[in-house]
Formats: sequence, C-alpha cells, structure tokens
Amino acid sequence: MNLSSILLFIISKMNGERTINASLHLLRGKKSGQTLQDVEYFAVKPFFGILPKLTDKEFQKAAEKLRISAFIVEEDNLIRLTAEGASEVNKQEDYHFRGWDYRGREVVFFKRLALAVQTVSNLREGTHSFLPIESDRDIQLFVKRLFYRKPITSPHFAKEIGDELKKALIGCGMSDKQKFIFTGRLTGKRDTAKTWDQLARELEEQLDSIRLQFIESLHMLLDEIHSLDEYPILRLISDDIKVQTYLTDSAIRTKKLFEEGHSLGSIAEIRQLKLSTIEDHLIEMAMNESSFPILRFVSIEQMKAVIAKANSLGTKRLKLLKVAFPSLTYFELRLIMAVNEKGVV
Amino acid sequence: MNLTEELQRRFGYTEFRPGQQEVIEHVLEGRDTIAVLPTGMGKSLCYQLPGYLMNGSVLIVSPLVSLMEDQVAQMRKNGEKRVVALNSFLSYSEREKVIRQLDHFKFIFVSPEMLSRRTVVDYFRKLQLALIVVDEAHCISQWGFDFRPDYLRLGDFLKIIDRPPILALTATADQKVMFDIPYYLQMRSPVVERQSLDRKNICYSVIRLKSSIEKMAWIKNRVSTTTGPGIIYTSSRKRSDELAKELQSIGVSCQSYHAGKEQDDRSIIQSQFYNGELDWICATNAFGMGIHIGNIRQVIHEHMPSTVADYSQEVGRAGRDGLPSVATLLYMQSDEQLTSFIIQTDIPKEEQVRYYNNLLIDGMAPEEAAKLAGLSETGKRVIDYYMERFEVVEIIEKLLSLAEEKNTELQTMLSLIVTTNCIRKNILSYFGEESNLKIPQCCSNCSLPEMEWLTVEKPSMNKHAIMTWDERITKLLG
Ligand SMILES: Nc1ncnc2c1ncn2[C@@H]1O[C@H](COP(=O)(O)OP(=O)(O)OP(=O)(O)O)[C@@H](O)[C@H]1O
Ligand SMILES: [Mg+2]
Ligand SMILES: [Zn+2]
Repeated sequence: MNLSSILLFIISKMNGERTINASLHLLRGKKSGQTLQDVEYFAVKPFFGILPKLTDKEFQKAAEKLRISAFIVEEDNLIRLTAEGASEVNKQEDYHFRGWDYRGREVVFFKRLALAVQTVSNLREGTHSFLPIESDRDIQLFVKRLFYRKPITSPHFAKEIGDELKKALIGCGMSDKQKFIFTGRLTGKRDTAKTWDQLARELEEQLDSIRLQFIESLHMLLDEIHSLDEYPILRLISDDIKVQTYLTDSAIRTKKLFEEGHSLGSIAEIRQLKLSTIEDHLIEMAMNESSFPILRFVSIEQMKAVIAKANSLGTKRLKLLKVAFPSLTYFELRLIMAVNEKGVV
Repeated sequence: MNLTEELQRRFGYTEFRPGQQEVIEHVLEGRDTIAVLPTGMGKSLCYQLPGYLMNGSVLIVSPLVSLMEDQVAQMRKNGEKRVVALNSFLSYSEREKVIRQLDHFKFIFVSPEMLSRRTVVDYFRKLQLALIVVDEAHCISQWGFDFRPDYLRLGDFLKIIDRPPILALTATADQKVMFDIPYYLQMRSPVVERQSLDRKNICYSVIRLKSSIEKMAWIKNRVSTTTGPGIIYTSSRKRSDELAKELQSIGVSCQSYHAGKEQDDRSIIQSQFYNGELDWICATNAFGMGIHIGNIRQVIHEHMPSTVADYSQEVGRAGRDGLPSVATLLYMQSDEQLTSFIIQTDIPKEEQVRYYNNLLIDGMAPEEAAKLAGLSETGKRVIDYYMERFEVVEIIEKLLSLAEEKNTELQTMLSLIVTTNCIRKNILSYFGEESNLKIPQCCSNCSLPEMEWLTVEKPSMNKHAIMTWDERITKLLG
C-alpha cells in the first residue's frame, strides 16, 4: 500500500468521470458540496480525509508515477484507467480505511493514547517528572482528566492498559507490520518512539506507505474498540473521536431552518448564502439522513426513471442525465442520485 | 532573607553561580537590570527565583517558539505548574483560554509579536506583573532570519504601562547590543551585571577543507570515530535532511531537526536525544539558542554562521554539564560567498522598496504587493515596521546601512576563521573582553593536545534494538 496504489483505486471508482483533483480533495477531506457528493456517488467514503495534510507536491508525484506506468490516462482533463491500470487494481489487497467516520480525528486518539502510555510507563516505575511527548495542551488536559482518581502509579494499572492494548491490536485484524509501526510510535520510560524516518528505514519502506498503514491501523483499531465491550480504557480514550454527525456545521444550520418549514429561497435569504450552497446542503442531508423527505422534491416515478437511465447509461455524469430528462433540474437530478446511492430506492 | 537558603530550598543547588546572586538582588530591589552571563550558566534562574519571592506574575519575552515551549516543558517537569506559553502558534480558542486565565500563572512566556497586539496588551495591563524578562535580549539588535521588528515594538509596550522592573538576559553582548538593549527596551538607568563570557570547557577548532566532498568525508569519519552526543549545524533544512540521510546510511544514529518537521517527530527526536537514544542531530539554527541538554560533547559547523554572536550561541549548546567539549567549524573558500548571498537575499533592495510602496499607494493589499515586489517574509515585516516610522528615502538608507552592517559582521566572523591567533581570545575580544588565561585544550591555533576522551572504540550503531510489537508493549507497560 502506498499513495499511488490508493490513488489508483480511487481513480478506478471515479473512472473517467472526474479530474485528478477530485481525488486530492477526497484524500484531504475537503468539505465542499462537490467532494461530499463524490464520496457518495463513487462509494469512496473510506478514503475521505485520510491525509488532511497531503501536499500538492506529494500528490502530483504519486499521480505521475501512475502516468509513467501507463495505469492512467487523461482525456479532456478526466482521468480514467487503462487496461493495465484495471488489472493492477484487481491485484490490490483490500483496504480497511474508515475515513468518513474519523476524518483525521484518529490522530487525536493516538496522541491521547501515546501520552497516556508514556505517563503510566513512567509512573509505574516511580518517575514523576518527564518531558511529555505531546505538547498540545488539549491532549494533556484530556489525559489528566482520563486518569483522575485512577491508580496511575500502580504497575497493575499499567499492565492492564498494556494487556487491553495487546488484545485490541490482535482483535482488530491489523497486519503484524502495522502492529510494529503502531507500537513503534509509542513512548515509554526508557524507550522513546521512533520517527517516521526511523520506521521507514527499519522496515525498508517509503514514508508514505508507512504513514498510510498507520492511519489504516488506527481505523481498524477504533472500529474494534467501538464494536466490542471489552476495551474499557481504550473506549474512554477514543471518546468523541468518531464523527457524531456527518453533516457540515453549515449544513446543520440549513437543516434546522428547513425543518422549521422555510423554503430553500428563504433559507438562502436568511443565511445570506447563495441558493446553490443551500442546495448543496440539502444534497448532504439527502445523502446522510434516511428520513430525508425526497418526495417533497420529486415523484417516485421520476426517481425510478432516472435511476434506470443512469444504470443503462452506465454513468453518473449529470450532463448526460440532464439531456435525457430536460424537465428535471440539476438539483433534482442530484437529489435522486444522492438518495439512490444510499440504497433507499 | 537569605537567598542561598531559598536557592537550596527551591532548586536544590548549594550555591549561586557567578553573577546570579547579584542579578537577583538588583531585581528584588526593583531595578532594571542587564545580565550578561555565558551560555549555560543559569540565566533562567535569575528570574525564576525572584519570581517566587515577589508578588504577581513574571512575564518572559522569548524570541523563538521552540525555545519557549522547551522552557515551559522543563519548568513543568521540575514541578512548576503555573507556567504557560502564549504565542501565535496556539489556535485561536487555545489562546483565548490562556488569556482569560492569565492571572492563574506565575510564569508567562510570550513571543514579541503577541505583545504588539492591542487586545493582548490590554490583558497584560490588567495583570499584576512582578517582573518583565527579555530573554536572549541580543535579538533586539539582530538582523537576519530571526530579526523581529516586533522586538523593536517591545519598547512601545514597555513605555505605556506603569511597569515593574525589566531584566534583560543575554550571553552574546557586544558594544552595539549593550547600547541597543537599554535604548529599545526603554530601561531606566539599568545596572549591568557582567561575567566573563568564556566557556573554558569548550575547545575551539577550525578545519580548512577544499571541497564539500572533503567536508562530507571529514564528518563521516568524525562521527563514526568520536563520541556524541553532538549537533551538526547546517545552512538549510534541506541540507540537514540530506546530511542526516548520509550519516544514517553508514550506521550512525542521527536525525535531522528543523522547523519544517512535524511536531510529533520533533518531540520524539528531542526526547531521544535527551535520553541518549540518539547520538547526533543535524540541525538548522532552530535547534540552538537557549536549548538546554546537559551532556552535548561536540558541536560541528558544516557551514559558517553569519555572525560571531550566532556562532557562540550555537557553540554554547556544548558542555553545559561543565565537562570538556569540542566545537569544530569546517571551512572552505566558497563558504564566504554562499553565506554572503544568503544574507543579502534577505535584505530588500531599493527598487523593491519603491515598487512595494507604489503598489501600496495604488491600494493593493500588502500581501499581494509584497509578492509582486519579490519581498521575502522577513523583508516585508521589516519594511512594514519601518514604514510606520519613516519616509521611503530614509528606509532605503537604513536598509543600505543594515546590509553594510551585516557584511561587517560576516567579515568579523571570517576573521575569526582565518586568524592564526587564539580563537578563544578572538571571540572574547568581540565581546569586549580581554583574556590572558592559558587553557590546556584551548583551540586549534594554540596547541591542541590529543583528546583521548573524544575517541570511541567502534562506530555507534543504531541503538534501537529490534523488538516485536508485543515485547515492546510489555517493555513499556509491564
Ligand atoms: N546555581 C546553580 N547551581 C547549579 N546548577 C545551576 C545553577 N543555576 C542554574 N543551574 C543549571 O544550569 C543549567 C543551564 O541553565 P540555563 O538554561 O538557565 O542557562 P542559560 O544561561 O539560560 O543558557 P543560554 O544562554 O544557552 O540560554 C540548568 O540546568 C540549570 O538548572
Ligand atoms: Mg537561556
Ligand atoms: Zn587558543
């Protein structure tokens, strides 16, 4: 797994329908109407925001690699796979990212864990003063609250955390290499964590590959912690990490007005936003909320017809659909496609 | 009050180091004080101890964010909870939180640019301050990457408040600095407490080489046959990354450190270095001034710094435990041009200033105008500062004289390198000190006897023993 292999996989999903930049926005977790829709249309939620700090340079390098290997080609700015590219994708192993659920917050979880481990690792041996590996005040305060009235100096307590961690690492199904990377980033009394460089050197792999395996392992671990009741301490540490609502803050405000019965035009006026932005918010709601009242906008018949056409055309490109259904607006078409992806129809 | 008892009780030290007690007494008497004490001699104590004995908070103005955070962490480690850092790297909400609770803290570190914000200053005005400290006060007269017009603005802040005494701390004060400090900080008849800046346990060595290939070879040989921990200073972030890679490839335990690295990796590297898990760090000057790690045995300059002040700051990281240490500077002919080039690109040219000014008059946004005029970030900051005060012609004149000044400093640094006289004496004379001390391990121009302690038997290999993942958890948590 590395950045180009993931990029290839994403391109295979958006095959021929998006520019290369759509993948960049997806990986960075851009919260724009377009990207949020793409996530749903192309079933690429797992990759949303897995690399919030991805630079243009790194991204272009990964894309260039795919071009040189002739896995992808560009036509009219749209990117699609070549036959070699398609067969390469088939050879890939499954990915276990859960980007949509964690959106970069998984790293916060790890920072808390790292500081918690460092703290008990020192205290269990009677060392009360050490330089915290996390300088972020919020993380420090979290760990302080976490350990409030806990037997933090007891070696038993440390071992309990260690045992729980071991069990969860095995239980979540991450690879042995991922376990090595994960534990390598933990600091204790005598052992400081390793830098990304050091891990890459020890494992003889590229940096991007190591980072991605690390992020994936965090997603797997967090899922494990949330799905079983056997990890009391890790559950506390992962408090608040999973996104609570899938809507953006702005969409939440629109939703409130919508539920109070305002029309889209009146919401746009109240919020001093463009109508198209309000429409984006409704698309977001349609994608994420099963109770979205789609029938206020289109009829069942219209939905069925559009979906049938989309399937027979084998495309999700709105322009083509618009030609087939001139009486429907782009907004209505987008709503139908959004609800359809959710599998409601 | 018996100060030595307080020292013993609060810090566990039996006696003051030269100069400390005097400085502390002046401060307690409420006098503005300039303390010039050598690197690593305990300037921090000069405000920490009085802080405990006075009512109110101590405000410490500190030039580098990394340094500030390091000092906060050290103080917390030593059990002082009421300490906090306020800088522009904090998120907006974090900063608001800190500002609202300012009076909970005994020691408040703040970056100069924070003090040029009205809202922040208003909060400080309401606070009961016992003492204002300006750490690394020589930065006031410095121009270069770390030049901070904000430092100059400090004077405005100090002027407007009915203020407590000011304590200025530095280890590198030449005549100009000694003039600038009281002037810009608006000090009121300050007492100067000055100790010899000589670091007797550091031996200076300059090695002339013909090419960068020779430099590389020298460093490789040096780090694999002599003892760490050590710092290798390079001219850029990119260079320190490259060098670290090269050294890793021959099995040296080494990492690069600079402001471009992500925060987690930086703390990991510092922590490995503190714990002796890492022998060498290739760094830019981000890992310099004020950083305190006791047992650094060697400082190597792959590239010459542009001023003697920078040089002695960086060298000052060595031997803070008092044990013998070596500072080695590698030099080849073309270094002078490169350094001079780096310096000059930072200073805006006449055309740039005029162009920038015209764009502003035309109503363009400053950021955009700076970009069009090709100004560096530092360059823009400086011009902006001057524009508040001077006419364009005056600014151009000032910039010219700054460029000249910078060049003179570079020449002084160079003369230190090419001299055949004692290097130590040279450095000291730069700070206006005379010294006739004979030190056995003095410098490469005096006699340099074999230093046995420096050599190690075999190259230091990567100290991370490979453990399996569950062994590692067991090791950390039992
Ligand atoms: N009186 C003392 N006795 C023993 N150790 C001391 C004493 N005063 C200070 N120290 C120790 O000396 C070390 C260096 O102190 P500090 O970091 O304050 O140096 P500094 O003068 O600020 O150096 P720099 O110029 O590099 O910033 C610290 O570990 C400090 O605890
Ligand atoms: Mg200091
Ligand atoms: Zn000498």
